[in-house]
Amino acid sequence: MSEPVEVRGQSGTVVRANVLVKILRNPMGLGAVTVLLLVVLAAVLANVLAPFDPNFADIGKTLSDPNAVNVLGTDSVGRDVWSRLVFGARTTLLSALLCATVAIAIGLPAGLIGGYYGGKFDSVANWVTNVLMSLPGIIVLLTVRAAFGPSVWISMIAFGVLISPGYFRLTRTAVQSVRNELYVDAARVAGLSDRAIISRHIFSVVRAPIIIQTSMICGVAIAIQSGLEFLGLGDPTVATWGVMLNEGFKNVYLNPMLLLWPALAIGLTIGALVLLGNAIRDALEDAEKVKVSKRGKGRSTAATATVRRRPERSATESVEAGTEHHLIKVSHLGVGYPQADGSVKKVVDDVSFHVDRGEVVGIVGESGSGKSQTAFSILGLLPDAARIVAGSIQFDGTYTVAPNDDRVSQARLSEFRGKRISYIPQEPMSNLDPAFTIGYQMVTPMMRVLKITKSEARARALKLLDDVGIRFPQKTFDAYPHEVSGGMAQRVLIAGAISCEPDLIIADEPTTALDVTVQADVLDLIRDLQKRLNVGVIIVTHNFGVVADLCDRVAVMQNGRLVEDGRVRDILRNPQDPYTQKLLGSMLENKEPMTMLVSTGAPAGLPDDDKAAAL
Amino acid sequence: MAVIAATAIALTACGGGTTGPSGGSAGGAASLTLASLQDLKTFDPVDAHIGHTMPFYQAAYDTLILRSPDGKLSPMLAQSWEYNKDNTVLTLKLRSDVTFSDGAKFDAAAVKANLDHFKEAKGTDAYQSASLKGVEVIDPATVAITLNAPDPAFTYYLTQALGLMASPKAVGTAAIKTTPDGSGPYVLDAKNTVKGSQYVYTKRDGYWNKDLQKYNKITIKYLADLTARTNALVSGQVDAALLDPKAGKQAEGSGMILTKSQVDWHGILLYDRDGKINPELANVKVRQAINFAFDRKTILDQQFLGQGTVTDQVFGPESGAYVPALENKYSYDPAKAKALLAEAGYPNGFTLKMPTLAGFDAVNAVYSQQLADIGIKVQLESVPLANYVADMAAGKYSAATFQLYQGEPWVAINQMISTTALYNPFKSETPELAAMIKAVQLGGEQSDELAKKVNEYVTDNAWFAPMFRLNQMYYSNKNVTVVPQLQQAVPSIYNYAPAK
Amino acid sequence: MVSFILKRIGSGISVLLAISFIAYFLLYFSSANIARNILGESASLDQVHAKEIELGLDQPLLTRFFDWFTHALQGDFGTSWFTSQGVVEGLASRLPITLTLVGVSIICIAIVSTLLGMAAAVKRGWVDKLVQTGAVLGDAIPSFVLAIVLVTVFAIQFQLFPATSSIAPDAGASAWVASMALPVIALLINGVASAAQQIRSAVIKQLEKDYVRTLRSRGISETEILFKHVLRSAAPAGLTVLSLQFVGMLGGVVIIEQIFALPGMGALAVQSTTMGDIPLVMGVVLYTVIIVIIVNLVVDLINGWLNPKVRVS
Repeated sequence: MSEPVEVRGQSGTVVRANVLVKILRNPMGLGAVTVLLLVVLAAVLANVLAPFDPNFADIGKTLSDPNAVNVLGTDSVGRDVWSRLVFGARTTLLSALLCATVAIAIGLPAGLIGGYYGGKFDSVANWVTNVLMSLPGIIVLLTVRAAFGPSVWISMIAFGVLISPGYFRLTRTAVQSVRNELYVDAARVAGLSDRAIISRHIFSVVRAPIIIQTSMICGVAIAIQSGLEFLGLGDPTVATWGVMLNEGFKNVYLNPMLLLWPALAIGLTIGALVLLGNAIRDALEDAEKVKVSKRGKGRSTAATATVRRRPERSATESVEAGTEHHLIKVSHLGVGYPQADGSVKKVVDDVSFHVDRGEVVGIVGESGSGKSQTAFSILGLLPDAARIVAGSIQFDGTYTVAPNDDRVSQARLSEFRGKRISYIPQEPMSNLDPAFTIGYQMVTPMMRVLKITKSEARARALKLLDDVGIRFPQKTFDAYPHEVSGGMAQRVLIAGAISCEPDLIIADEPTTALDVTVQADVLDLIRDLQKRLNVGVIIVTHNFGVVADLCDRVAVMQNGRLVEDGRVRDILRNPQDPYTQKLLGSMLENKEPMTMLVSTGAPAGLPDDDKAAAL
Repeated sequence: MAVIAATAIALTACGGGTTGPSGGSAGGAASLTLASLQDLKTFDPVDAHIGHTMPFYQAAYDTLILRSPDGKLSPMLAQSWEYNKDNTVLTLKLRSDVTFSDGAKFDAAAVKANLDHFKEAKGTDAYQSASLKGVEVIDPATVAITLNAPDPAFTYYLTQALGLMASPKAVGTAAIKTTPDGSGPYVLDAKNTVKGSQYVYTKRDGYWNKDLQKYNKITIKYLADLTARTNALVSGQVDAALLDPKAGKQAEGSGMILTKSQVDWHGILLYDRDGKINPELANVKVRQAINFAFDRKTILDQQFLGQGTVTDQVFGPESGAYVPALENKYSYDPAKAKALLAEAGYPNGFTLKMPTLAGFDAVNAVYSQQLADIGIKVQLESVPLANYVADMAAGKYSAATFQLYQGEPWVAINQMISTTALYNPFKSETPELAAMIKAVQLGGEQSDELAKKVNEYVTDNAWFAPMFRLNQMYYSNKNVTVVPQLQQAVPSIYNYAPAK
Repeated sequence: MVSFILKRIGSGISVLLAISFIAYFLLYFSSANIARNILGESASLDQVHAKEIELGLDQPLLTRFFDWFTHALQGDFGTSWFTSQGVVEGLASRLPITLTLVGVSIICIAIVSTLLGMAAAVKRGWVDKLVQTGAVLGDAIPSFVLAIVLVTVFAIQFQLFPATSSIAPDAGASAWVASMALPVIALLINGVASAAQQIRSAVIKQLEKDYVRTLRSRGISETEILFKHVLRSAAPAGLTVLSLQFVGMLGGVVIIEQIFALPGMGALAVQSTTMGDIPLVMGVVLYTVIIVIIVNLVVDLINGWLNPKVRVS
């Protein structure tokens, strides 16, 4: 067994770094910012950097190769390529900015007003958006050009108008998502004017998507403008990259390098803009690019866990003698998430317990105690980033996590899941695929796992729905998840969990998301099924009442560690650990106190007198 | 890219039709595929235009008179023709063995129907019938055309749009716009023809002149884009195409054969000789100074890879109005140019606004530079292609770069020198010039000779700043022999033959 | 369902109306020299003036628009001012080419981007990095630059494909495929880049959903979860981006059609707007918008069908 990993204080928490720093840390972001900075500098300092006027034609030196005077050579009329490139940068960038500015100037206010106030303005704006988005862009630009001349600025203004719907929609969506948030209501109640609300709260939400969008839009604008100029439809008296591209193409057989420079400029700039947009988006989504290295680099080499193998590599080890009879035995389990700095944030630390057939075991703790993570480890449904850093798990005499595995063995668990171990999730509605009927979601797993025919599975499903107390099984069978209530959905999920006759059911806070009136029913159901089918059940909960109601034994977890476990009666009457005591003591729910703190004999509120008698 | 450039170049005029190299078995070999810069407008002869689209019409229609590659006139549907004494009545003797696609017979009545309709329809080349007064059927094989004034170019026009003969039954109908009805060496294959993309013709059975029918099938592909045209030629999709000097490099690299001919003159037209917009240009010394400002040879070498001939006059060597002595009138002499400007009272130069197009931007950049070198600041203004000619014709600019036809003197005079000329927007005129022009009109056989005087006048007075006569770079592959057509943008359809 | 379609058609018509007017309005400013351009430089001023009256160019804007509109409602889009060919006829010969090009491209993009997006979302790691990098590169290269490179390398240098795509209608299927290959590839790269990214995001988002975990717990295989469940829920995002691309492509093929000499709508659009051939431009604009409206409607219907909340109601 490996040594427990030192949890170094708060090193597990990710520091909320400045967005800019995050962008620069990202190699693509850094590259993008560098390129764009160079281009902008070139554009701003064009007058200084360019030795020649972009239109100065030295016919003594046409199509010359790079030399001391003309660092990139000259074009077909003797104009200096480098000078045209930097002045072109200015025009190209300015025109892209103009386009973006026009688009934002139209789209942003419209989106703010439309999203916030809704109503007539919103419908009109939506209609206008439809019109603009249905217009074939290039054709409109061609028409504008035919009407108003080949000026770059006019084209970009027109294009800005055409793409303003993008900003409108973006802003509107962001505003709508925030408008109904509680803090906005609070602000309104506090008497803030609409304008203040918009600028203070809503603006900050909208800022980020707009910046990302602008980055992309500038890239698109440059591409469109260059395309038109390439077709020869631009203004040839103004040096832009597209015009240079056109010129280069005309001379491609004489000097192909002429084509290279503007193409590079365009490609790099657009690429940088796109990358920048991506980097900003990534930085804002807090997506840490975690490098999971085997050795675990970073400052605290002492703190890193010993290297563990991938499960496929461990030979089929046999479990310790004498433990095979346990349905589930978790031994010194440690689960952690590698951090960016090389340390490992442990969420489960040295947890050991077991569950036998027919037993109901509760795992109790507050949020963050690691109880759900433990349950998922047993199921093998941890997130990809998780690692087993210590211990083992065995199911019915076989290791699902062998002592030196760093992950749960999917190979073994995929055999067990559904068939021998099943799962009842916490939130019923989000755990059903909204696109398929309930019947489909019940029948298909049975067909796959039990290898029965569709009609057999159907019959079973209907019977199961009846078993779990659903009044009109056929109706529910044919319904979609959004058509049933939360309580019914939970019953469906329970039915699903038992449908393949598992040996172990893991229920993750099965009643937390339900109405109080429904909770008791569902608990009764679980108890009933458990008794009938003699399955082992692990119930993960934060509610001692549920524990008292259903469980034979209970384990208490705090901050990833198991602080106390034992028979329910014992724990409730006589909690040893101070944390357990505190937890019990703070159960001020509207249920009768469990009387466990002060031992006065039989717990009054225990509903199951049979159980009490058995103890 | 070169949509505009190509179209700009193709805005010029040319014309002609002729017999190709003789020999070669009658009934021709395989097929010929050509690339065309311009698309056919319609198959109606009234929409025909001299230059690039003539081959479309020549395939399906015959003309009254045939123009050889060297410009000489020879019989076609008209076997002979003769003017009366004062050149106002032209009598034509016609063939009697020709029928149209729809079975109608070709005769004097058919000629009358065509010519009357042409005049009335006011089509693209309506100017060709400007002097037409009336057509009289003398007998089925004889027709007399009366002009309201002598027109030295009239017989030339009868080899062009005016001379295209369609079946009298189809003349003026809507159908003829989409389906030709003529008597030419080929018939349109409507099934394989896609408007705007390619036009396919097959050999006409029983055509009366086997010598002009060299192929079984002719396809003309409309490829406006220079690159697409070059690629098509180089990859073997077409047998011949008109390129430009730069694209020609690639064609040559792939073994294509170049056939050169000179059709246009290229230069700056100094419209504002009366000084309406630029008072400076009213002074002949200023205009002459402009002519001295350009290093024509270098520009030709660099911008057009030397493909052409430097010139100081607007009439070409084969036109008859050419004056060899004029050729070196304006050498490259910036010092002299500045001196002339000073003499004219503009020692510090002046500002000149000129329009520019995507196709001319390179040369205009050079011209601007060289004019700047003698003190004339040029402001270039981008103009959309569709407005370029119209703006010039409306007198919006005092000078502009352009390329114009350089052939038949009378046509050229009417195009850019006379007061009714499109390219004389300010209607510049002097009494001496008017007299010279009149002389040309009435000159009959001497017209071309008399045009020399006009040439000398406009050149001495620097009405224009001609730069060079550019070579048409016509490339073809090894399977084809082709002879260029004098003063026509592309060879006539009769000028192609399978290579031996 | 029916009312939904009717409502969309209704709004589509109002959009069409607005767009027709905007387009006509813009074209009005470019109609100054049309008569001269139609007749050619040798026409006299009288002829030009007569032509202007014939075309109605001397009428005020609203009269002209109304005239055009009433004809258009009856299906009469007039004839091209330059070629005298019926507008509908002219469009009918060009539309299939552009639609084929765009349609084939979109289908290819859909298939490739779905595969790539899913691979990136599921595999993560180096596959994900590769796809993302590829996507950035694909986004950065303008399609016309790519087209030029393709033509130069594959058609000229190696003679593998025809350099231009103007082949006879009766040429065989293989010739047609060969002529479409390069243009489609040029359009593909850009399209796959953005679509793959969107699909990747959508698939990642779905994979993080609770029901996926529950399905796993029920013993459903990863493959089935991916292709039956995840893909279906991620489809709307993919369809949306593809439909946006389709609309964009209708205009974006302009350059591609020029480079490959494809006689499609794009080429027609450039020619007709450059020359100011108003009936033709209006025809092009309208046809394009109608196609866009239909495509959007179809996509919305599919999305609606995929979403049981909408389907059942």
